Amino acid sequence: MRLKPLPHPSTNHHRHHHRTPSSSRITNPSRPSPNPRSRETVQLVHYSATMPKEPEISLAEKTFVLEALKQNLRVDGRGIHSFREIELSFGDDYGFVDVRLGKTRVLARISAEIVKPRSDRPFEGTFTISTEMGPMASPSFEVGRPTDLDHTLSRLLEKSIRRSTALDLESLCIVTGQRVWSLRADLHFLSHDGNLIDTACIATITALAHFRLPVITVSGEDITIHPVTERVPVPLSLLHWPICVTFSFLGEDEDGEVVCVLDATAQEEALREGDMTVTVNKNGEVCQISKSGGVAVEAETLMKCARMAAEKVKGIDKLIATALRDDEVARNKGNLDWLKEGKSENER
Amino acid sequence: MEGLRNDGRRWNELRRIHCQLSTSSTNADGSSYIEQGFTKVLCNVTGPAEPSSRQKVKQDSATVSCEVYFAAFSGTDRIKRGRNDKKVQELQTAIQKTFSSIILTHLFSRSEITISVHILSQDGGTLAACINAATLALIDAGIPLKDYVCACTAGQSTSIFDNEGASPDPWLDVNYLEESDIPSLTVATVGDSEKIVALNMENKVRIEKLEAMIAVGISGCAKVRAIMDKEVRRHGKQKLEAQGE
Repeated sequence: MRLKPLPHPSTNHHRHHHRTPSSSRITNPSRPSPNPRSRETVQLVHYSATMPKEPEISLAEKTFVLEALKQNLRVDGRGIHSFREIELSFGDDYGFVDVRLGKTRVLARISAEIVKPRSDRPFEGTFTISTEMGPMASPSFEVGRPTDLDHTLSRLLEKSIRRSTALDLESLCIVTGQRVWSLRADLHFLSHDGNLIDTACIATITALAHFRLPVITVSGEDITIHPVTERVPVPLSLLHWPICVTFSFLGEDEDGEVVCVLDATAQEEALREGDMTVTVNKNGEVCQISKSGGVAVEAETLMKCARMAAEKVKGIDKLIATALRDDEVARNKGNLDWLKEGKSENER
Repeated sequence: MEGLRNDGRRWNELRRIHCQLSTSSTNADGSSYIEQGFTKVLCNVTGPAEPSSRQKVKQDSATVSCEVYFAAFSGTDRIKRGRNDKKVQELQTAIQKTFSSIILTHLFSRSEITISVHILSQDGGTLAACINAATLALIDAGIPLKDYVCACTAGQSTSIFDNEGASPDPWLDVNYLEESDIPSLTVATVGDSEKIVALNMENKVRIEKLEAMIAVGISGCAKVRAIMDKEVRRHGKQKLEAQGE
């Protein structure tokens, strides 16, 4: 594909998805429907005129969960400070990730196109994260009517990933002031069983690390985008991997101290009296902290949470790295000789 | 100058705080005005009143809602921020969530308490000033609170103040220049206790530095509380004396 700098910005949009023709996973996931319940929920929204509220948790259920917490027990048998198992799976294309934490499931997809840069930032590419929650995830989400969670989530991802400069935007520049890559992360929330924030963050980071940009050569005025079959696409320059860890404060332990639970389920989220999201990377840099309102907590406890988050993130970071490596190996297994050529660790 | 910040303060000094209660003569139930350095915020509280929409009706408690308005002239550049601006919405959620847990909402079932904050001038620590203003306005409106909520900012200075190689002290109550330069956080505490109700940080900071920043922030909150309490008492006394005449 050859591109010349075009006179009109409106004609500048060359969507460049390098997906294989067989895959159109976003609209049509090849896996069976993620959650049989979600089909019912769509209908539920269809019939009711006003926004359905999340069903309130019953008193018996509440007492059960809180009493169990007093004995350091959780309903699903996990430890207080343990995550559910994080399952990562990748699509056929680069930059397509499916993350599951228990019953919570989020899809992330990265796409890139070439655009004209903003005039005040001529040598920086752009990166946007789009999050939209529909009734697919939970009956209380409605398309076009963002909830509080929606706002919090998009702001948190923005602060955690964009503001902490996880992605080197200058590396997305092709020709200064003329052409830059515009990256977009689309998040799809398929089912909601608590902890959407952490799941969405893991999904975005993994998808960014998995994504490959096609190679571009610039000679004079001409920009050539090399198709995947011609040149091995290159990974993005991610400076660090910020990962969100959300603590939910609910109930009291035997000493009357507030209990902070990690990776809360929807049930625990409905009962919590406060929450705090800490974004850390594996180097121990805190990128963002947000605790707005909720139960008042001693500074000591918050610091403990932050340190614990830093520990947890190291594990999650390793898990993502392993999953990415495994995927890369599986991807190169076939007789894709053109992929091997670009590698240094091929068997010779 | 050795050990002084760009506006002449030392690391642990607050900017001048000026606060007032009952500033609005309109039909707001409570109002306040606070100046923290050049950050100026006006706050009105209405309620408990009938909820503006049916969605806000809660059977067992009052709903707290918050509206934030940025004056277009409040920053260095003239920017109009609409209702759907992300920064506006974030501030609204932060204030609303903070006060939902502090106001004794169970006393006013099926009603709504509205906090509307007008930011007239921004010079760092906007969220902190908004929270402080809202506390004062709620006190003025006579709405029962668990205690004062006081907020303050603290920043991690990058310069070395002492020559002994010790890590520099965090800066208390950062202004706009400092805020855009160094990582800073906003802490809000409840009353005398050192319990944190809101904590907000948007920049990258090493985890080891965090504790000192929070500690300095909390000490700032205590100072802010003393200033606010003094004004509330002065205002109350003045009102009582006016009634007595």
